[in-house]
Amino acid sequence: MDRLELCRMAVEAAIGMGSSEAEALILSNRTISSDIERGQITTCNDIADSGMAVRAILDGRIGFAYTNRLTADSAKEASKRAFKAARASPPDKQWRSLPESRSYPTVEGIFDDKIAQLTSDVAVDTSERMIEIAVGTDERVLPAFGGTEIVSQEMTCANSLGIEVEQSGTTFGCGLATVARSETEVSPMCGEFKASRVYDPQPEWVAEVAANLSVRAIKVGKPQSGKFPVLLDPFALQDILTYTLIESIKGDNVHRGKSALRGKVGQMVACEGVTIFDDGTLHGGLKSWSSDLEGAPKQRTPILADGVLEGFVYDNYWAKLEGKKSTGNAERGGGGLNLPAYGTTPSIQPSNIVLEPGTASEEELLRETGDGYYVRDVQGAHQSNPETGEFSVALAPAWRIENGEVTHAVKGTMIAGSVFDLMKNIAVIGKDARQVGTLVSPKVVVRELRVISE
Amino acid sequence: MKDILVPVIDKVRDEGASYAEIRAQENQNTLVKVRDGLVEAATLASESGAGIRVLANGAWGFSTTASLGREDLERSARSALSMARAASRSIKEPIRLAEVEPVEDRAGVELRVNPADVDVSTKIETLLDIDKLCFAFDDRIKSVTVNYADLTTRQTLATTDGTFIEQEKVFVWNYCWLSGQSNGIMASARDEVGMHGYDLYDVESPEKISERVGRRVIQQLEGKTPKSGLFPAIMGTNIVGVFAHEALGHICEADLYLAGSALMGRLGEKIGSDEATIYDTVLIPEGFGTIKYDDEGVRGQRTTLIENGVLVGLMHNRETAAKMGAQPTGNARAQDFRVPPLIRMRNTCFEVGDHTFDELLEGIDFGYYLEAFRGGTANIDGTFTVGVQSAFQIVNGELGEPIRNLGISGNTLETLQHVEARGKDFELGPGRCGKGQMMFVSDGGPPLRVKRIMIGGG
Repeated sequence: MDRLELCRMAVEAAIGMGSSEAEALILSNRTISSDIERGQITTCNDIADSGMAVRAILDGRIGFAYTNRLTADSAKEASKRAFKAARASPPDKQWRSLPESRSYPTVEGIFDDKIAQLTSDVAVDTSERMIEIAVGTDERVLPAFGGTEIVSQEMTCANSLGIEVEQSGTTFGCGLATVARSETEVSPMCGEFKASRVYDPQPEWVAEVAANLSVRAIKVGKPQSGKFPVLLDPFALQDILTYTLIESIKGDNVHRGKSALRGKVGQMVACEGVTIFDDGTLHGGLKSWSSDLEGAPKQRTPILADGVLEGFVYDNYWAKLEGKKSTGNAERGGGGLNLPAYGTTPSIQPSNIVLEPGTASEEELLRETGDGYYVRDVQGAHQSNPETGEFSVALAPAWRIENGEVTHAVKGTMIAGSVFDLMKNIAVIGKDARQVGTLVSPKVVVRELRVISE
Repeated sequence: MKDILVPVIDKVRDEGASYAEIRAQENQNTLVKVRDGLVEAATLASESGAGIRVLANGAWGFSTTASLGREDLERSARSALSMARAASRSIKEPIRLAEVEPVEDRAGVELRVNPADVDVSTKIETLLDIDKLCFAFDDRIKSVTVNYADLTTRQTLATTDGTFIEQEKVFVWNYCWLSGQSNGIMASARDEVGMHGYDLYDVESPEKISERVGRRVIQQLEGKTPKSGLFPAIMGTNIVGVFAHEALGHICEADLYLAGSALMGRLGEKIGSDEATIYDTVLIPEGFGTIKYDDEGVRGQRTTLIENGVLVGLMHNRETAAKMGAQPTGNARAQDFRVPPLIRMRNTCFEVGDHTFDELLEGIDFGYYLEAFRGGTANIDGTFTVGVQSAFQIVNGELGEPIRNLGISGNTLETLQHVEARGKDFELGPGRCGKGQMMFVSDGGPPLRVKRIMIGGG
């Protein structure tokens, strides 16, 4: 039975039992990958995982069930369990309805038939190439972990309010984390990756960057404490923003009073020149789709325009509570138990968070930093306080910048502050953006951050 | 099950695999999420599948299937074999496995209250109770999220070495996240408890949970920000646990050790003060990380990692044990059938000493008592950070005002040198560890006094 048929059947079954509304979602994921461990390819994996999730609503009581067996019997069984869970729950007074049918945007560059056809040999070749280049760069470099992934995804969703949507996507990615050792120093794990929705492998570039970072990270000098300008790489920025700013733009956190940005729409919350939007339709974006994971269309949502707060991101539930339309930000998965995506109810997640590039070249960014630090990556950002936006993170790897030039790596150093101060302190924005996780951003210079070291 | 699984792996062995294993699972999960008094959704889930791992020509292949029918298992096993062959093309140092005695066993969980016997509506009521008690704790509490999960796995492991183990795993978990606000200050705190049975709530009653986590929020609202710099500190048992796990445990996992961790090549060396003894064990039955057999069929014991400051052991799977001439330690664990096992911790602890808490406080003119953590992480180079959600000043040997937004960071080995005294009261706390896969673990120890630690944040 095809997937859409199966979804329709599960929805009908739940309605037949007495549900007032119902939704069925099927997610299928096939990943072929090769793993690098300690300088060699040790494993190839072929992991296929599909599952169906059913939401049944009975007068505001919400029940949920999932199964990884895609048969007609299992679909009906899942509907039955969702209905049972709904009946056991007290009604959610805030419940309005499931998403209604709307039209979907056409999103380019998210599916490549070529990726869908790739075999394990390509995963092995790509990983092999990364090892070769990394080891050839410097004898002190160990390609510690890494690998290549070929991913094909399919999503099918139907609900009792008329939504029927099917979409496919692909991703090809390779990444490498290296460690360099000298007589006296061990570098932190230094990583690089390249992921794209169409086939564009760049193992040489990935390996070269990762190897050079770790080699440069063992030339260690003394850090200095105090307030300094800091040049933040998109890696560091995405880590800090994910657990602070991005939490505060989620519609549920705003509604529940868990966001420091609540009530600040229209106010200046960042420097002039800082423009951020969430774009679920970005051409080739790693998080781009036509539909989110409850069938609401993806879109481009303004967050900050020239420093002024414009709005927040929503899924169907929280948007309706605020009398708004979903911004297409319902995701599945996460939730702390790392369940498969079809194993969780929708939650608000960013799509591609785009920080608009400025005009500064690499040299200009360094010159503007002057006497400060370049932070490639940070550690411990997930311990930030999502409500106050306060963070305190260790730098790994990071370098000292003196007179506009990178001089030496630093260890045992932290930066701390509030993300809202950081946003008001962005002095310069680079011109070259890249995507790391959800964030599409260039490097930025923060005028002043507190640096703590021994 | 045996008559289906064993022929499948025997067949891939005949086709050229040097080793094959099947981990077949049937899982029943119940999840409940409550926020601000409303049930977001109760989830009743059922899933099954198998992960098949094959070693051929010195490399691993892994494949999964959702179906436990013979034909699908055979197809998946063939795929795992072809994956292993693809990976082996460039193998320089072929993977070998340490020898183990084959085991045939049936290992259940001794359940006082089986979560399967508790109706979902009772679980929902308990969560609503916790939610209500959290709000009632103090009117500065503004939002409450409570998550519940019970995960029950029936696993059958069959290997071509003759091991055949049927094992049950039961985890009952409760997670609570509170936020509060007062005079423009916002604060939040979390609490996590878990046991192998629904009697979790007999030990950790809704009252106890809500008071503990509620107090942490209020403390932060009333607390002041810390000074930054190096200070003496007492790490409470909860912080000692996360330090044992994050800072030390991970670099004692043999895969990370061999990948160039800060400990690489230092087995047998003195790396910490005499006061530091750390072990990873399954000999604590109530430990949230306790399992009888790991996912390679190795029976777990107590593995001493550091003894009086000397690095004496690592956590191994069969692969790293063979590479280093050691014994597998029962640390190979996989989140579920979708993924292959990795070296993971179980219950990781500092050994107790003989000081009372007051004795630990003595002689600290100014420092911090670090009571509970928000989260922790460590890098392979031995740098760790721990976000602290509950902390107090220590002034002239006495506990003082609460502190908010404190983070500690440092070099693990230096910090280990600075451990100068151990308390006598042991406490173990449950938690989750993420290493690509989510795993339930626990960690703990006695309170420890450290000469100095870097305090950030504020």
